[in-house]
Amino acid sequence: MKKIFIIEDEILIQQSLKKLFERRGFLVDVSASGKLAIDMILANDYDRIVCDLMLQDISGFDVIEESKKKFSAQDISKKFVIMTAYNSPQVLSRANAYQCRLLNKPFEDLEEAMRVMTESV
Amino acid sequence: MENRSDPSSETAPVGLSLHLDHEVLSELGSDFFPESKFHLVPLQDASYALLKKGDRLWVNYPDGEYCDFPFYRKNIALVLNGLLKLPKISRQTDEPFDSLIRSTQSIEKRVFSAATPGRHTKDLWDEIIRKINTLSQESHSLRDLTEKLLDVPFLQNFETSLIVLHLKGQTKAEILGSLWRSEKFQSFAEVKEFNSFFNSVKKSKIKSFTTEVFPKLNLPFNGSFLAKEVVSRKYTLVALASRHDFLSFGREEIELFETCIDLLQPHFERLIDQEFSDKRISELRICLKDFPLPLRIRNHVTGTSFQNDLMKGELQEQDIFFTKKVMGPFTLDLYDSDELRHYAFDLFHFQRISLLGELLNTLRHELSNPLFGLMLGSQMFRTLDVATDNKDLMKEIEKNVARCQVIIENFSNLYQIQNEPRPVHLKKIIDESLVLAKSEGREMRKKVIYEGDTESLELSVPLIFVVQILFNLIVNAAQALREAMVTGGELTIRIAREEKNIAIHVCDNGPGIPSEKAVQLFKPFFTTKASGTGLGLVLSRNLALKMGGNLEYMSDTELKGAHFCITLPVT
Repeated sequence: MKKIFIIEDEILIQQSLKKLFERRGFLVDVSASGKLAIDMILANDYDRIVCDLMLQDISGFDVIEESKKKFSAQDISKKFVIMTAYNSPQVLSRANAYQCRLLNKPFEDLEEAMRVMTESV
Repeated sequence: MENRSDPSSETAPVGLSLHLDHEVLSELGSDFFPESKFHLVPLQDASYALLKKGDRLWVNYPDGEYCDFPFYRKNIALVLNGLLKLPKISRQTDEPFDSLIRSTQSIEKRVFSAATPGRHTKDLWDEIIRKINTLSQESHSLRDLTEKLLDVPFLQNFETSLIVLHLKGQTKAEILGSLWRSEKFQSFAEVKEFNSFFNSVKKSKIKSFTTEVFPKLNLPFNGSFLAKEVVSRKYTLVALASRHDFLSFGREEIELFETCIDLLQPHFERLIDQEFSDKRISELRICLKDFPLPLRIRNHVTGTSFQNDLMKGELQEQDIFFTKKVMGPFTLDLYDSDELRHYAFDLFHFQRISLLGELLNTLRHELSNPLFGLMLGSQMFRTLDVATDNKDLMKEIEKNVARCQVIIENFSNLYQIQNEPRPVHLKKIIDESLVLAKSEGREMRKKVIYEGDTESLELSVPLIFVVQILFNLIVNAAQALREAMVTGGELTIRIAREEKNIAIHVCDNGPGIPSEKAVQLFKPFFTTKASGTGLGLVLSRNLALKMGGNLEYMSDTELKGAHFCITLPVT
């Protein structure tokens, strides 16, 4: 079974996504803390990592940077999906540098968002 | 080419009486001094004397002054030539030795006109201290003091004195003083350059420098100079003096200069303090003079007052609408005027709008995530196999969340200050205003009547301005109705087309405004409410005028309630 890891500190969003993924047949891990998420990424093999940018402790970019210990730049571009509510030019250019998928919150279309988050897993 | 000049036209032998130190004579030989031109005589009979002291050549003049040079054959020849150009014994004792100096320009010279070793050192010091005391008393500015520095006895042969001053916290260092004893000079240097200059001066033991070492400081002369640093709590400065040549300085000169600047330090301090408090006061005066509102500042102690340019003629006490005790004995009065209305209310309005904009933006960001969570949670539940009626409920939750998102989005867009107004539907303006005033106006019925095609009209005005005016009028109406305890309160907004304008009539069925109060409605700080600021209507009219429209109270109406009319231009 494919494993998805959700890093999101808004529990309602985190749990809803977890349920939605589970219903599509994925194994799901979650974390509300960025620091904890780094440990979990290093310790587990996830097929997809959905990561919010604004976490309480550190930013989603920090999580991606730390996971460079384990992943190549190409791995990062394939594994990570960034979620953000603040699509400022700075955030966008930084996210583009990682070349990974980007989703704006709130999702305009849930089905489309689910498709982006699960594609080529 | 052979010299064929007529011997009779040659200058007659001058025959200056010259005393030669036996050391000079033994080193150069007597044939070095042509007897036709010089009479070698004993010291007491000589007009001039050439003495050797160590490796220096001393020239004593009839008046007791002296020059000294390094002891070289060439130098001695030049000195002798210089002496021959002087008229025999006709030198006045007070005549400076410029001609000699000029004729021996290439010679390293050291001229002490006053600080001669022949004088008593104590006398010299007394003189220097006396001079410093008088010149510091006579100086009324830093520049003054810097210029007068050259009057100090041992500096009388110097041409230029400057100070390089850096006040702490300033982004530039200032160079000021006088060049060639007459030309006033002022320029600025980068702080970085000043710091490196200052540190070099501070570290130096001999306090002697040449300008080429500090090219970026752009000192306005070339050559060697003496420099001494002064450090204080508020500033650092370097005082410097130069003769505009490349000669080195004697030990005595260096010591005298250092001591001199040390003695001047308290005077630098005093003048800098005074100058910069003067500068602050004059800057403040300029600010107040150009302040865009008519104002007066009174001093209770002296009874004097200052008023700025906008205070035209005699203003009456009753025109003061704002008085505040400021510092010390001062009171600030602001006068009621068109300028005041214009500027103060603009500022007031702008502050309010931008504060609201910021608040709403924060609110939008803060609410966005929880609302999204609600939406997602509900969508997730809806896709589970739940009963149809529950699915409808979930849909209802989602609809409400979406509405919240739209409302908060609209509000924060509304309060963004836009420079270029975009065309906006009149209906949207009215609707926004009603939503905004919903809680204030919930007890009254609202009726909107669009006459003719006005509902589809678009206006190129800042949305927020119109909403603000309408909001004020709606809230005023609601409060008036509540206060008068009118049951069945009703607000009517009627939009009608006038020739080039659109008129928005806002009427209520409350008690209306008595005519004696109606005339004061648009006066600042006039209010009938207990907690009112008296600015709402003034501000609203101001906004309407800004858009090329107006806001008026319609007193000639047959309706019994209050009736306001906003007119706005249609483009």
